Amino acid sequence: MTSPFSFKPLQLPSSLEPLRLEARAFLAEAAKDWSGWKVGHSWTGFDRDFSREVGKRGWIGMTWPKAYGGHERSGLERYVVVEEMLAVGAPLGAHWFGDRQSGPLLLRLGTEAQRQRFLPLIARGEASFCIGLSEPDSGSDLASLRSRATRVEGGWRLNGRKVWTTNAHLCDFMIGLFRSGGQADTEKHKGLSQFLIDMSASGIEVRPIHDLTGEAHFNEVTFDNVFVPDDMLVGREGDGWAQASGELAFERSQPDRYMSAFPLLPLTIDALREAGTDDRLASRRLGEAVAELAVLREMSLSIVGQLQDGHSPAKEAALVKDLGNLHEQRMPDLVRELLDCPSSIVAADRLSELQAFLVQNVPSFSLRGGTREILRGIIAKGLGLK
Amino acid sequence: MSNSEMNISEMLAEQVQRLFSARIDRDTWVHAEDGELDSDLWQEIEAMGITLALSDENAGGAGLNWADSEPVLRLCGVHAAPVPIGETTIAAWALSRAGLEVPEGVLAISGEIFQLDAQGRLQGQDAQLSWLPVAGHVLVAALREGVTHLCLVSADAGRQQAIDTLDRLPCASMELENVIPLQTAEAPFLDELGLRPHLAALRSMQMAGALARVLDLCVEYANTRVQFDKPIGKFQAIQQMVAELASQAAAAQVAGLYAARQVDAGNASYGAAVAKSLVGRAATRAAAIAHQVFGAIGVTDEHSLHYYTRRLWQWRSEGGSEHWWSERIGRKVLAKDGAHLWQQLTAPIGA
Ligand SMILES: Cc1cc2nc3c(=O)[nH]c(=O)nc-3n(C[C@H](O)[C@H](O)[C@H](O)COP(=O)(O)OP(=O)(O)OC[C@H]3O[C@@H](n4cnc5c(N)ncnc54)[C@H](O)[C@@H]3O)c2cc1C
Repeated sequence: MTSPFSFKPLQLPSSLEPLRLEARAFLAEAAKDWSGWKVGHSWTGFDRDFSREVGKRGWIGMTWPKAYGGHERSGLERYVVVEEMLAVGAPLGAHWFGDRQSGPLLLRLGTEAQRQRFLPLIARGEASFCIGLSEPDSGSDLASLRSRATRVEGGWRLNGRKVWTTNAHLCDFMIGLFRSGGQADTEKHKGLSQFLIDMSASGIEVRPIHDLTGEAHFNEVTFDNVFVPDDMLVGREGDGWAQASGELAFERSQPDRYMSAFPLLPLTIDALREAGTDDRLASRRLGEAVAELAVLREMSLSIVGQLQDGHSPAKEAALVKDLGNLHEQRMPDLVRELLDCPSSIVAADRLSELQAFLVQNVPSFSLRGGTREILRGIIAKGLGLK
Repeated sequence: MSNSEMNISEMLAEQVQRLFSARIDRDTWVHAEDGELDSDLWQEIEAMGITLALSDENAGGAGLNWADSEPVLRLCGVHAAPVPIGETTIAAWALSRAGLEVPEGVLAISGEIFQLDAQGRLQGQDAQLSWLPVAGHVLVAALREGVTHLCLVSADAGRQQAIDTLDRLPCASMELENVIPLQTAEAPFLDELGLRPHLAALRSMQMAGALARVLDLCVEYANTRVQFDKPIGKFQAIQQMVAELASQAAAAQVAGLYAARQVDAGNASYGAAVAKSLVGRAATRAAAIAHQVFGAIGVTDEHSLHYYTRRLWQWRSEGGSEHWWSERIGRKVLAKDGAHLWQQLTAPIGA
């Protein structure tokens, strides 16, 4: 019996250390005044100024061709910068979706004109993208979506409703999946197309949806006869389903799938040291978390390596997201186990604010990007369960 | 890793896989759990040179590193091979690294630290030494004036008493009092934990193998056992459990190899700690899931599942339990300020 999994190890070469130290130094300075609440948002936090700074340093679109404003650096160099950013909970939201998802999609399937127009903007931290997939009646069953694109002279008219669109109220563009043909009931996977949508177009209305923290990150976006010109179709008409699935592969297994709560740990260690708590329970629980992080990082690096080699380890990526979500969701509870956290939120106390934010936010970690149940279904099928 | 090494390690794994498939079955397990070593099988193993995989070429070995040997050590778990291949391989590796001679026959390794006095006499004890009852020699790590030494002693040099374990494989306690070792050498490649990290790394790799087999058994069973007119694998509840088991098995595999790579890079204790902490907990969860998937048949003596789950429960305690190793990592982490954690996690292997 050979292994049912492919996890060839990838060792980061030491030549990447200068880049790591450069990113670390930049972040140490930038993070000085970040509140615990801000750190908690991490890669969903929207801070255009920060993104511009990151863009100036060449850390967005790192692997893209220079002709499109990229920097022709390796996927491993990008990995190092991304993990350094996540380790401090940097606010990546203004460029992250473009860098991780929309940019690579355009690079792969966009027209030359689309690439020339959008990629340099993303790379400079000037253009933010949101992801328009989910609808009120289409969550896990994404292919059932009903929002329509109808052919008109010179382009398309979009009608319908997207929901849970992270940062739609702040973004410049959306890549939206719409039904351009076929019937939702009978031909689910057929007739879906992806469009590049200018969020300032007339007919688009963005309504905030307040979440349980009291903030409003995601939105309901309604489309009322929104015109999209022909040249804003992404890829091929009718291929949207396959394209969007491929796009999701960029999303799973990256370090943001297990590091969302990482910044809690250093703060917890400092608090334990300060309190002089040197007990066996604390050591054991921390040790478990560190061991998990070390192994998750090896798994995630392996997947980066496999993607670079042209493989698509879908089952492995789903495994890493599932394990990673379990790990990051447990972190705030670990803090409650080890420290005497007050039941109030202590203003200007980083640990307290971060903890408070994460307690309320971790439930979303195993929803966004595909729920745990959907991922486990993918894994089970991948293992040959009939 | 050069191409030729890759080929040797792959070839060896293939050979071992063929040998185990042909020679290990329920009878082999039952025999071993009665306390007997299958000496025919052992001779075949020695003849194939499997236990010298890690040893220097000038000591007659294949000179593979730990990472290259990981597939073979994992296969020992995949087949619940009731033979001390891992222990003997590691002992031979350590002996040849310390410039000592490798004796023939079964070698046991102790994860405890013994004391070597100025007269060159060994003292100490190990409450539980796997395979001791069938071993010819035992390799122990011992401290003399703060320096770690390796000592080879005859298996009957001390007092031993057979003990019971969950895997029911041959095992005994050992107490050495003023024993003069057959061979002794300084072992600067070992830290203050002696051979324990190596034993823990071995158990992690074996557990990863056992978990892969348990997963395989579950998938096969879920696809064939019919209830409510369909294979139980069609039920989402079962699919979700098996997927979770798969996650644990995958993480264990990565962790075992990580430990091996850290041993190669001279950082055995950290690698073993990470692996044993994670794999021990994975084994607990995975064994529970597997028994749930199998229903009543899985807890019967007749079914083979328990040969794996009993080993998983046994191995998670050997070479330091997952809790022992977690505590050690935690103590190290708490010795430095919080910012240091990320530096440690991103340090290159071996650092
Ligand atoms: C913080 C956050 C940000 C998000 N951002 C975006 C975004 O930017 N763009 C976007 O398009 N979407 C976004 N989403 C939406 C997200 O992708 C969906 O929430 C997710 O896909 C699940 O869909 P749903 O919420 O409709 O739940 P449902 O699909 O209704 O699922 C409810 C429950 O039923 C389970 N379930 C459903 N179907 C099955 C099945 N076949 N088998 C077993 N269990 C099943 C689910 O696992 C879940 O537990 C975001 C969500 C969150 C929480």
